[in-house]
Amino acid sequence: MSKRVLIVDDALFMRTMLRDIFVEAGWQVVAEAENGEQAITEYQAYQPDLVTMDLVMPEMGGIDALKVILNDDSAARIVVCSALGQKKMILDAINAGAKDFIVKPFQSVQVLEVVERVVMAF
Amino acid sequence: MDVSKFTEMFLVEAAEHLQMMVDILIQLDSDPEDRDGIDALFREAHSIKGMAATMEHAETARLAHHLEERLDVCRHLGRISGVEIDWLLEAADLLELLLSDIRNEQPERNVDNFIATIPKEGESEVSSPVEGKALDLTGHSHGQLIQLRLRETVIAPGPRFLVLLKRLADIGTILESIPSAEDLIQGGDPDQLLVRLESDASQDELHQELLKYSELQEISFPDEKEEEKETSLKKPSSGKTVRVSTELLDHFINLTGELITNRNQLQNVLKERNWKELDDGIGQLARLVKNLHHQVLQVRMVSLEGLVGRLSRTVHDLSRSHGKEIKFQVEGAEIELDRAIVEELTDPLVHMVRNAVDHGIEQSGAIFVKAWRERDQVLVQVADDGRGIDPEKIRQQALEQGLLTQTQSKSIRDYDLFQMICQPGFSTAEEVSETSGRGVGMDVVKTVVEQVGGILLIDSVLGEGTKITLKLPLSLAIIRVLIVECDGSRMAMPITRVVQTVEISPEEVQSSGKQLMVHYQDEHLPMLSLRKILKLPQGAPLDTIPLVITEVMGRKIGLVVDRLVGQREVFVQRLPAPFDQVRGCSGGTILGDGQIIFLLDLQSLFERRRG
Repeated sequence: MSKRVLIVDDALFMRTMLRDIFVEAGWQVVAEAENGEQAITEYQAYQPDLVTMDLVMPEMGGIDALKVILNDDSAARIVVCSALGQKKMILDAINAGAKDFIVKPFQSVQVLEVVERVVMAF
Repeated sequence: MDVSKFTEMFLVEAAEHLQMMVDILIQLDSDPEDRDGIDALFREAHSIKGMAATMEHAETARLAHHLEERLDVCRHLGRISGVEIDWLLEAADLLELLLSDIRNEQPERNVDNFIATIPKEGESEVSSPVEGKALDLTGHSHGQLIQLRLRETVIAPGPRFLVLLKRLADIGTILESIPSAEDLIQGGDPDQLLVRLESDASQDELHQELLKYSELQEISFPDEKEEEKETSLKKPSSGKTVRVSTELLDHFINLTGELITNRNQLQNVLKERNWKELDDGIGQLARLVKNLHHQVLQVRMVSLEGLVGRLSRTVHDLSRSHGKEIKFQVEGAEIELDRAIVEELTDPLVHMVRNAVDHGIEQSGAIFVKAWRERDQVLVQVADDGRGIDPEKIRQQALEQGLLTQTQSKSIRDYDLFQMICQPGFSTAEEVSETSGRGVGMDVVKTVVEQVGGILLIDSVLGEGTKITLKLPLSLAIIRVLIVECDGSRMAMPITRVVQTVEISPEEVQSSGKQLMVHYQDEHLPMLSLRKILKLPQGAPLDTIPLVITEVMGRKIGLVVDRLVGQREVFVQRLPAPFDQVRGCSGGTILGDGQIIFLLDLQSLFERRRG
């Protein structure tokens, strides 16, 4: 059965790119969200196997959303996406429970390596 | 924990960090408020401290700790003073001595006296958390020790290690780690992670899990007992190691795969006698071998950056001690050369720069070090805008020392006169070096340059400065040679030694006494026959005489050969005993048709001839 992913990013371009990467690798993109609040709603609705979470978004940012999601479901697997130079935010996200991170700009192999190992982790 | 297995790795890396520190210090000297520089310096000191503490080199760790503390203060102030830079440079020297103690397996020297000399301003004394932890870690006797190192290309090492640490915490219980999760969250970017993990997972399972992280360059499980056995068996080798990126190794593996496919293809072709495909197969083989050759060369290549760092340090120190104001400018430090050549060149270049400071520049001036590629050669130039060399003084000196006759001294060109400073007898006497303007040991410089197959050119204008240029081959093993024929045998000479090849008619040959001469670009060059030098029988007269214009002992000559065959790129091998005893031969190579040809070493041939 294909793995199910929720893509969270405020940029349509990034969402589309990630979607392509996932679809090509045989994943099912169950939903997309463009801010933290939407992410929480979609997570609750779909309970995906994995979330890719952008950190900087309008309304509610990635770290806050991540905290809420993990508070409801401590087994949630969230991989954060960030731009170069956001080390502090990445550290906070990992500290708050993100399983791994991807730095933009990324290549599909890198993304897939990270998400596959996070989903496969026992 | 017995960490001696890592001593070599530690020494290599610590030396790199140390070199970086020195480079940055020199840069800060001209821009003391460069925050990035100070930050970088802090990180270098921090890395050395962490590594030394892990390796239980207490004095090294202690000194590095004090550097770090001092630099932390600078970081907050946003500037570094000249006094501090000097102190830190001295500290770097001391660190180098400590590393050599470790290398020589001697107890580290005590650093108390030096630490007492810390510049006063804003001192602080905080105990080092890393030192304490290192000791704790070694105190544990249970759990599995894991050492992780990231690829240099990994963008955020701190967060990456934090992810790994959390992943390991999922698998087992982390008894200790250097750095700790807290340290990582604080924002450190260490270059390695050392973890002691208690877990039900076997070493193999842990390894499999960690292999999923392609960001990791190195996963090792240092094992106390095994190490004890191993260290008694083998000692770390003497630093002839090269770091190879795994990317390059992957290339090799791929190429090997392609070569195997190619072999199969060719074997098939042989069976079926399909000559059209044979052609394709061989074409492909040629491409693969060329590719492989290129990649293998890459492994041996290093940039001149490390070397240039040493030079800037030399200039800095000397200009301080001589009270001269000297600008040091570098261009082309990223140019790469064979590691062996760079190693050989270090001392000569330091020497050249030292000469420029001592003898070239008077009160203030600039020294330029420039490197660039010209086809398959690398040129390295050390220039100054100092007083230059006075050709008259050299002429005088050469006459007095009997190196030139009166007649020669009149006709000799400045270019050749300058080469005289590389004559052994010329430059060793102290007084001579002072009056001649250039210093001791240019003969040594020239010898080294020629040993690696290069040549040295000197150009100087009185009152404007001196330029010394080294023309070097890219690699020692594979070089371009000129193949010549003499009495039916072929032999080769490195192309770097060849100025030009020309063919002249017998009418162009002139004579001066017994010596045959040829006119070449406004100069009269002595013509010497390779047949004669090699004691081969005289050949029949030729319609055109092939000449190789080359340089021996600082003089241009025209070397007469039977035929110029052409240029080729060859893999030069050392001659096995007893052939290595043959003078005038510096190696051999096998040509495509299986013919073995020798590489002529003209310098030693002429020494033999003179002797």
